[in-house]
Amino acid sequence: MSASTPHYDVIIIGAGVSGNTIAWQLGLAGKKVLILEAGVAVPDSREEYMENFYLALAKTPEAPYPGIAGRTSVKGQITQPNPGNLPTPRATVLGIGGSPDTSYLVQAQPNGKTNPPTDKNGNVRGLQFSSTYERIGGGTSWHWLGTSLRELENDIQMKTKYGVFHDWPVTYTEMQELWAKAEQTIGVAASTVQQEPLEVVGLKYPPGYQYPMGPIPMSVVDQTVSTGVAGLQVPGMLDGEGDTRMYDVFVTPTPQGRNSEPYQDRRVCAGNTNCIPICPIQAKWDPTVTLGQALDTTDKDGNSNVTVSYQSVAVNIAVEGKSVTRIDYLVWSRDASGKLTSEKKSVTGKLYVLAAHAIENAKLLLMSNNRKGICNSSDQVGRNLMDHVLYLSWALVNPTDDPIWGYRGPLATSGIESLRDGEFRKYRSSFRMEIGNEGWNFSSSDPYNTTMDYIQGTNNALLNPDGQRLGGLALVQKLNSLFTRQFRIGVMFDQAPLAENRVTLDPTYTDGLGLPRPHIDYGLDPYTMEGFRVAADVCSKIYKRMGVTEFTTTGVGGTGDFTYKGKNYHYYGAGHVMGTHRMGNDPATSVVDASQRSHDVPNLWIVGSGSFPTVATANPTLTLMGLAFKSARSILAALRS
Amino acid sequence: MNTKATSAPEADVQDFANMSAALTGFLSSVLKPKLDPVGLARTYYEFALAQVGASQISALLNAFRAIQTQPPQTIADTLLETSSPTPSGQALLAQSIVAMWYLGAWYIPGVKGGGGFPPTPLQIISSEAYTNGLVWSAMQSHPMGFSPFTFGYWSQAPGPLSSFGVDTGNGGGQ
Repeated sequence: MSASTPHYDVIIIGAGVSGNTIAWQLGLAGKKVLILEAGVAVPDSREEYMENFYLALAKTPEAPYPGIAGRTSVKGQITQPNPGNLPTPRATVLGIGGSPDTSYLVQAQPNGKTNPPTDKNGNVRGLQFSSTYERIGGGTSWHWLGTSLRELENDIQMKTKYGVFHDWPVTYTEMQELWAKAEQTIGVAASTVQQEPLEVVGLKYPPGYQYPMGPIPMSVVDQTVSTGVAGLQVPGMLDGEGDTRMYDVFVTPTPQGRNSEPYQDRRVCAGNTNCIPICPIQAKWDPTVTLGQALDTTDKDGNSNVTVSYQSVAVNIAVEGKSVTRIDYLVWSRDASGKLTSEKKSVTGKLYVLAAHAIENAKLLLMSNNRKGICNSSDQVGRNLMDHVLYLSWALVNPTDDPIWGYRGPLATSGIESLRDGEFRKYRSSFRMEIGNEGWNFSSSDPYNTTMDYIQGTNNALLNPDGQRLGGLALVQKLNSLFTRQFRIGVMFDQAPLAENRVTLDPTYTDGLGLPRPHIDYGLDPYTMEGFRVAADVCSKIYKRMGVTEFTTTGVGGTGDFTYKGKNYHYYGAGHVMGTHRMGNDPATSVVDASQRSHDVPNLWIVGSGSFPTVATANPTLTLMGLAFKSARSILAALRS
Repeated sequence: MNTKATSAPEADVQDFANMSAALTGFLSSVLKPKLDPVGLARTYYEFALAQVGASQISALLNAFRAIQTQPPQTIADTLLETSSPTPSGQALLAQSIVAMWYLGAWYIPGVKGGGGFPPTPLQIISSEAYTNGLVWSAMQSHPMGFSPFTFGYWSQAPGPLSSFGVDTGNGGGQ
């Protein structure tokens, strides 16, 4: 190994949405960039990942990606690797709620019998953070859904407007310009005319704005829900307290990062109903597209301005005074026998970007400086861990009505966005509602569950109460009548930022490189849980209005189960991990500024949804890419000065 | 019968396909087409053979041969013992064969799911097994992750069930 380290303008840690976007922008400006990516390289063809998906026993978000076995089972348990033996373990759906032998995140486990208690302030602690991520070239957004909604004006000024939480340190006007750049980069399919009804919740576009391509057609599911809820109004709050105004419930098509026409040499969406975990044809934009654009930037000699070093895990951001001086990292490999080895290296740049994911960013900041931490004079690093915690409800269209034809089209093509803003935000979390095109796949592991129920005479999906066993045409017709009538609504909440929802370094458990693993403390507060209560009520009202039968069930004592005001609920993770290095103007209460530049160490930018001061009501990818463009500009300005 | 070393006789594979057609409600020509680049019928027959052994498979096939001239629904109900509260081991094997065709995976006969979850299969038999699962045709759709359709198909209702390979001819289907 050469002792000399090449000198780059900028070192970026992480080849995901933010890192790739910034690398691309810097490369276009002729800057020399090195990306350190902890995980394996982007494969030449996604066929390898598709094969992983097809053969995975559980089609979880992580199923296609390296580092998970999951192709065989032993006594009904899907085999999983121990995160303690992996070089780049990550949170997985199969691991959530498990012991540290299966769960990378070290956190409370459900007791299997009862839900955690409510404390004197009405909080439920000891819950499981349930969102997952990837540590591979391209990052977690390999399996983003593609939803590309803009935030609402009040989403980013909650303190000013409703007196709760924090304002974002950016203006809506500036965000509009950043969202437009992100929409062009991703290739968002939408029509501003179709979005106009959302002016009632404060969605505004600059005059004359056009999306880069026309909208994705609404599914039959969308059309059926849209017709079925016509005229429905719901109160802002239940029990006649707080905001009792009535709000219109209506369906709008979702702006989506899926091609409605060929774009960037990528194909048109064929409705594979598989955006999560993997689009087989890359009709959905993913960060490898932008990584390719970054690698295509060249200097006058034709050399790429951007270099990626894969299997390179940053382990220390060395800081002297108020400056990063180098990044220490481990380059790992496996020998022919599968034995993990690693070699320590260091690299220097003029400026540095940490873009490793909200949890991994916090982990590395806390690990650095001999585990004393950096960039943390505010004590906010790792705190305010948030998610679009998700409530799921599901229903069946009655046999006398036309089928709703789920399991067809992109996973979600429309939503109910009309309840995202209102005075109720003073009192409870706001939410958006996503209409699913995949039947009861999410809610009930269908079509697997119901199919096996009717083959074996069980009733796990609750659609075989008489325990029938069928075969032949009778089986076809029964399954047909059920699967073509299933649909679900997922509800995502503007979860409150809480200082005690927190990532720290686990004192005991390490990964396969000997690095500390994230320890998570997590719970829900009454503001967030009241949102669940209202959303469950709205879902039931929607189903009643539509004349369909609701099947939503909840359990007790399992991962994601909690009790609020005497009723049991279940939450899922949305994969939207936020808040762990929040941005703000005040260095005393925030980690980064409006450009995602560290207050404490100004030659370091800490980027991604970890910078979000609040969850807000739009899925985060579009916004975090917009903020990456803003960071790239400030990095270029800093390089000039 | 020597099951491991040599490939199964074609006649047995054809009988297995015919039996599977009755059990699943799909056309035999869909499960085992004349031009068959995938060869799932043979794959499944040999997989089941390896899992449970020749004697059990032979017994099931012989039971089918004895009633193969009866209507498909009768064959399915007889072999699956759908009206019996306690299906025999042979019927449980027939269930696993139905599950294999529908879901492309091997479910160990008689092992049930619980707690709101389906049983965990031993394995997905192959990627072709997944992408040829009959359950997706039964719902007039396509496997998640494997769409043969084109942009925008989801905005309209699909074609009739008969266009998805279901044997609606003999059983009074729609």
